[in-house]
Amino acid sequence: MTFEAIAGSDNGDGGVRHGRLLVRLAEAMWEGDPGSLAAVRDELLAAAGADVLVDAVAVSANFHMMTRVADGTGTPLDPGADEASAGFREEIEVNDLVSRRHVPSA
Amino acid sequence: MPTYATELPVRDELDTAHTEAMAEWSGPGTWWTGTQRLAIVAEVRRARDAAPLTPWQSPSTVDWLIPDDHPLPDAVVDVVWRLTNHPGTLTTDWHASILARGLEPLAYVEVVSIVAQVNCVDRFADALELDRMPIPEARPGEPARKAPDDVEVRLHWVPTADIGGPNVWRALSGVPAELEARSRLSTPHYLEGRAVFGDVVSDRFSLQRVQMELIAARTSKLNECFY
Repeated sequence: MTFEAIAGSDNGDGGVRHGRLLVRLAEAMWEGDPGSLAAVRDELLAAAGADVLVDAVAVSANFHMMTRVADGTGTPLDPGADEASAGFREEIEVNDLVSRRHVPSA
Repeated sequence: MPTYATELPVRDELDTAHTEAMAEWSGPGTWWTGTQRLAIVAEVRRARDAAPLTPWQSPSTVDWLIPDDHPLPDAVVDVVWRLTNHPGTLTTDWHASILARGLEPLAYVEVVSIVAQVNCVDRFADALELDRMPIPEARPGEPARKAPDDVEVRLHWVPTADIGGPNVWRALSGVPAELEARSRLSTPHYLEGRAVFGDVVSDRFSLQRVQMELIAARTSKLNECFY
């Protein structure tokens, strides 16, 4: 998976099967516009089938939950993930987020 | 009888998890009654369906938005709206300002948990054009009001128990029933807790793991979540 796809569906499929459509689905769910949702649902159904559509919606819904758990509780990034992500956080444009929190150094 | 009337292949475990989640919301929790917990569910829906407010605009400051007989304190309504619509904008100062209005730290954790779960369940239904689950009658009973012995503020804004694991896993540990409820919902939606960081290659359901991670990463980015 390439990092460009995380930035948006205009950036191709990220090297992932149906990647562009899956990203568009996540974007449509976040926007909540019924027209956009219907369009991408139809395209994903035709390209990948109903199981993939339902499971992809389920995964995105899960991360609407987990992001709220993390950001509602002030959860800091784990040190291991912090170190592992340092090299690509700039690329996926997350370093300036308000929700950026680290475990304080000992 | 399935929760959702649809020809789409909604897996039984997913359908059941949603039914059970609503049943849990309708009963007394650790800090809130069933009536109050269902009021949180209804408020999430109201927040999502309303004309959007800016992050710094609290519903409690908007005339007529919160009825006088609302079953929740104004501070809780403000948490529900902000966390539902602007989760990436929350700050330490904002959290402190909420507690300063009299909300108990662990009662706040239970609110976060319910808001997060309802956002999961309803967004699933909305995305597939399914009817959202109806809100049932509340079950009577009083909240347990019991915290684990070792709960204290450690790395998070909120008190947590010393249970180990990734920080997001610990986030709700101050209210163990909510950690369990959140986990029961995550497993059929995504992965069982320990598989998230353990097995990072196996496919699940109809998706390749890399497809799941792309959806997860894009959804997290859209919600402006650094974690």
